[in-house]
Amino acid sequence: MTLSRMTQNMMSRQSFAGMQTAMDRVAKSQEQLTTGRLINRPSDDPTGATTAMRLRSSLSSQQQYVRNADDAIGWLDQTDTTLGSMASQITRAHDLALQGANTGAMSSDARAALATEVDQIRSGLISSANARYLDRPLFGGITTRTAAYDENGDVIDPPAMGTGTGVVRTIADGQQIRIDVEGPDVFEGADGVSVFTHLADLSAALKSGDTTVIKSSIGKLKDDGDRVVNVRSEIGARTVRVENARSVADDATLTLTNALSNVENVDLAKATVELSLREVAYKAALGATARVLQPSLLDYLR
Amino acid sequence: MAGAFSSINTALSALRYQQSALDIASTNIANASTDGYVRRRVVGQTVGAAAAPAVWSRSNEIGSGVQSSGVQRMVDPLLDARVRREHGRLTYLDTKAAAMSRVETGINEPSTTGVAKAVDTFRTSLDDLNNAPNSDAARSQVLANANLVADSFNTQSRNLQDEMGDQRARVVATVKEINTVAQQLADTNRSISASSGGGSDTATLMDTRDQLALRLSELTGATATPQADGTMDITLGGASLVSGRDAATLEVSAGIAADGTADGSAVAFSLTQPDGSVDDPVVPSGGQLAASVELIDHVLPDYAADLDALVEQFTTAFNDAHALGFDAAGAQGGEFFHSSDPDDLAGSLRVVVTDRSKIAVSSIGATPPALPTPNNDTGNAAKLADSITIQDGYQRLVNGFGSAVATVQRLAANQSTMTTQVDAAREQQTGVSLDEESVNMLMAQRSYEAAARVMTTVDEMLDTLINRTGVVGR
Repeated sequence: MTLSRMTQNMMSRQSFAGMQTAMDRVAKSQEQLTTGRLINRPSDDPTGATTAMRLRSSLSSQQQYVRNADDAIGWLDQTDTTLGSMASQITRAHDLALQGANTGAMSSDARAALATEVDQIRSGLISSANARYLDRPLFGGITTRTAAYDENGDVIDPPAMGTGTGVVRTIADGQQIRIDVEGPDVFEGADGVSVFTHLADLSAALKSGDTTVIKSSIGKLKDDGDRVVNVRSEIGARTVRVENARSVADDATLTLTNALSNVENVDLAKATVELSLREVAYKAALGATARVLQPSLLDYLR
Repeated sequence: MAGAFSSINTALSALRYQQSALDIASTNIANASTDGYVRRRVVGQTVGAAAAPAVWSRSNEIGSGVQSSGVQRMVDPLLDARVRREHGRLTYLDTKAAAMSRVETGINEPSTTGVAKAVDTFRTSLDDLNNAPNSDAARSQVLANANLVADSFNTQSRNLQDEMGDQRARVVATVKEINTVAQQLADTNRSISASSGGGSDTATLMDTRDQLALRLSELTGATATPQADGTMDITLGGASLVSGRDAATLEVSAGIAADGTADGSAVAFSLTQPDGSVDDPVVPSGGQLAASVELIDHVLPDYAADLDALVEQFTTAFNDAHALGFDAAGAQGGEFFHSSDPDDLAGSLRVVVTDRSKIAVSSIGATPPALPTPNNDTGNAAKLADSITIQDGYQRLVNGFGSAVATVQRLAANQSTMTTQVDAAREQQTGVSLDEESVNMLMAQRSYEAAARVMTTVDEMLDTLINRTGVVGR
């Protein structure tokens, strides 16, 4: 703009406007450094703000999946351990049945001793069947009671079983996995007779010396043992799947946090340098403003 | 020579003229930093020979000195009009930008304390309840987070309502100020026409007139038209606000009740002329008033409506999913969220369920095929969590508003630069340069001294003629 005339007012106004602009820039830099964020309000960078919001939302979902997966792994591990000990107990009972079937070599006292041991195994299995994870019975389905089986080997809360959905956990977007097995699925065969009944029958047969029952118990107990082992391997497969999902969610959490930081957070080194530069510019503006109060012509007239 | 003393008269006229030049220079210097002051310049005019001498006579005068033909205000009316227009635009954008920035700060995104975070936390607490359905702590957490969601929506609504209330109060105050300034301008117009009729100096009154017209432009974006007699007429939205010595009264005819609350309709104004006629409606074309009206009628209600639409989507989806589930006692889930005010869904959003056992997370209830109650099925918890789909919509809403704020701020910054330039151009024309005035003073002083010297010389010459002729031999 070519000026044909300049007044003191114009000079001071221009200096003041320049000083304000410099101060405004310094204030912005300071805000970024003190909050540590580039985006302090949506208008600073509308698209960046939307990205940041979207990332935060995804991040909280992934963190939830990690929590869910941890809970699932705990449950599945507990089930696995319990089933493992139960399988070995059933094998022992099977061996006892084999022994008891050998009627020629066993006296009634020996068989009574076997029966006692079978009883012990049975009550041990029942208490294992009532194992809990965080106060919920592992094999109770969706029951809210404290135990799945009573001391007679009967299910306490039959309607809580067989509902179809069971206990599920969401381990990824849209993926749910069932983490429980219901007692009847593990302990009862296709005929609906549970292993506890088989053991009770075996014990009674040992005490009474009923060899037919003892012999048939051998087959039934073998089937029961196999069934428990099968369920256990299925639990193992589910555990692997949940662990995979957990590590995927963990990685996703890291990636998203990284991305969020890139969008939102300020690069401290760059911001500090920028602040210094802007402060220097501001000081220069201040110096220029001070010189606006120039001497005027009056100082030079006599 | 037209007469013995005509030279003295010439010198006298010079003295008078230079003195008035000095006075003008000193006035300019005194008012160098006064707001709205326009520098003055005295215009001199040669006093020539008599144009119409008497019949049969001839005048052989050469020139008889100088007279001041008037004091000129160094102002450019076109530049003034431009300044008024740019100032009107600037206040419009500044008011709009400031209000929208305030609302944006209240939205508080992206952050860990806004609506988005509250909705996410609510969602994760539903997932946690899925993991531990018989845990009272998890159920309490769900209720607490639901209340947090309702609170954050309430806060957003209150934020908007507060800003709208502030703008309404501002409109009322601005209307009062407009009426005061219009009345002042009408009084100034009266003084100007009286003074110019009587021949006295109207420069200061003109300065006041220009200041008042600028203020009215800033407040309303009104157009100012200077008249031939020096008065200024102001038209607002086609109707006359100030006409000569008459000022109309601006009133809020709709949109704001007497106590400052909204009355449900758009804001409208009317102008009541002194003769009683009413111009209705009057639409301000710029300035603070137009900005406030735009905020009250369009910008803020649109955002509130979009927010309400999101709240409705959220509550309907969630209530529907909740109704499909069963609570801890096996009863069907009831209404979870409720908005009592259909005009302000966000502000009246409340959580209806207060008993944590009534959260319907189970997909199996007491109705046949019945299952015992309570049960730990959480088939509905995942559906409840999935019904929360407003995150995308909310992000778009915030993005849209953020972009709008950024745009207005950019426009305001550009307009500010433009206004500064136009102001500088006007200042260049009207501003007082102390150096220039010093030179003028110097010239006036020297001319005065020279004219005084002329007077002394003529005095001595006459002294020779009067006192020293005819004294031969004395």
